[in-house]
Amino acid sequence: MTQRVLVAGLGNEYRSDDGAGPAVAAYVGERTPSNVDSKVIREPLDLVGAWDNVDLAVIADATRSGATPGTVQLVDLGGGENADSYAGPMSTHGMDLARVLRLARAMGLAPRRVVVVGIEGENFQDGIGLSPAIEVAVPEAGELVLQVIDEAISCA
Amino acid sequence: MTHQRPADSRTVKVEGLARVEGEGSLRVEVRDGTVELVELEIFEPPRFFEAFLQGRRHTEAPDITARICGICPVAYQTSACLAIEDACNVAITDQIAMLRRLLYCGEWIQSHALHIHFLHAPDFFGCEDAVELAGLDLAAVQRGLEIKKVGNLVMEVVGGRAIHPVNVRVGGFYKAPSREEIAALVEPLRRARDAALASVEWVAGFDFPDIEIDYRFVSLRHPEYYAIESGRIASSDGLDLDAEGISELVEEQHVARSNALHARLGGQDMYLTGPLSRYALNSGQLSPIAREAAAAAGLGAVCNNPFRSIIVRAVELVYSCDEALRLVEAYEPPDPPAVVVPGTAGIGYGASEAPRGLLFHRYELDGDGLIRAARIVPPTSQNQLCIRDDLRRVAQANLSLPDEELGWLCEQAVRNFDPCISCATHFLDVTVERL
Repeated sequence: MTQRVLVAGLGNEYRSDDGAGPAVAAYVGERTPSNVDSKVIREPLDLVGAWDNVDLAVIADATRSGATPGTVQLVDLGGGENADSYAGPMSTHGMDLARVLRLARAMGLAPRRVVVVGIEGENFQDGIGLSPAIEVAVPEAGELVLQVIDEAISCA
Repeated sequence: MTHQRPADSRTVKVEGLARVEGEGSLRVEVRDGTVELVELEIFEPPRFFEAFLQGRRHTEAPDITARICGICPVAYQTSACLAIEDACNVAITDQIAMLRRLLYCGEWIQSHALHIHFLHAPDFFGCEDAVELAGLDLAAVQRGLEIKKVGNLVMEVVGGRAIHPVNVRVGGFYKAPSREEIAALVEPLRRARDAALASVEWVAGFDFPDIEIDYRFVSLRHPEYYAIESGRIASSDGLDLDAEGISELVEEQHVARSNALHARLGGQDMYLTGPLSRYALNSGQLSPIAREAAAAAGLGAVCNNPFRSIIVRAVELVYSCDEALRLVEAYEPPDPPAVVVPGTAGIGYGASEAPRGLLFHRYELDGDGLIRAARIVPPTSQNQLCIRDDLRRVAQANLSLPDEELGWLCEQAVRNFDPCISCATHFLDVTVERL
């Protein structure tokens, strides 16, 4: 069975480490099979439309969890049944991922499974370029995204 | 939210203004039954982009400034193109101008659909967000999304992609869409126009606080069209300026507790830009279908109630669909798709109507076409004094409310402006404190 997969890099490349998501999406985009759609999305609400009813959406994003900068984390949101528990304060992206996932579920448009791959950032000031620790973590996060996709496709 | 003393002296804080693009904070101080202080704390990037543009080629301004905002990149691109073309003394063709206007309609459709249905409407239902609103009125939220998708589609076809158009260049476009590509927009735009008409009817039925404010309206005005992508600057008190004129007249000042600049026009008075101003100054130029929708929704020639701005925005949504249809049906691919704009020494100015208000740019180029100085004045900076004045009025008129309800109403007063804090800044956190 063909799996419909979307990889989205969330973030703003002009806010330093907030550009981690787009950097991971670019890394993955050069290495994914042609049936995987990889794109940069700055506003999470634009996921609605892009991820409607796909089998797997892998979202790459910068995190601010208090972990060591550059730490790569994977959060499997499944079908978003528990997305509420991930809803934080409003993010720099306006409407956060958890809210957008809840909205997509309410509208019957949610992906079957959503996986978030995050890189802990340390500098979100205006500027271009990732901090060294985050730059180094991009291939690790990108490979993790590819692994999630491979596993999903091989299990289908 | 804090509640220090339940008397008529208090501070209302709203930490994290929800549903405003970007972030910031709001603090209202009340002493002995009088609102003494309203602070809208906005943490603006210290003019990062203006500094970043220095030394860049004149052709780079549209692409770089498009990144200031994820919601209104076309506004930044257009004002930048206009200013650079002005500096280089180059005029674009009518066909290019119309294609630019079509792209801009796509952005208005996308941005207005987002604000009306996802960010503003939840206020009128007492909902925290669009997710909660979807539980009450799923059809309305779905309709908003469908309209927004059509805006995205227009941006994709004309601009190359929905989020940050890549087809825009100084002088025009890299590639003109084919007639067939443009013709394929007709049906989606008709559906979007019908949906937008339903949205006007929907928002016209909301309950609005009874407040009227005598704004000084400022917007572009075009001799032929409802101004979007070009025009001169007009005001309700008779100003008639070109982009250079307003750039010279608007002063921006740093205000304590805010990194954003507060704009004053002519040295003293606050002024309003955005849908209420455009409607007040140009409503006679709306298309017949948009004018009829406005009349059916109970709008007169001018709307002075900021909470009813959602109706005006919905009327503009109808108009932008209708205008996009007109442009699509009249489309002639510009050939060539861009005029050549050699970089020359000069100073140029450009102004256009972002969905949330007037946006103007000024660039100074050297003989090699490199940018020596840039000035970007976004609508939210210009509206900041009006936002604070509205907050003071709304808070003063509703001091009998408990802190939580007063804070909620203050949040709504900010959202009336559809502020793009990302344009003016990034983080927004709202505070009401009774002292």
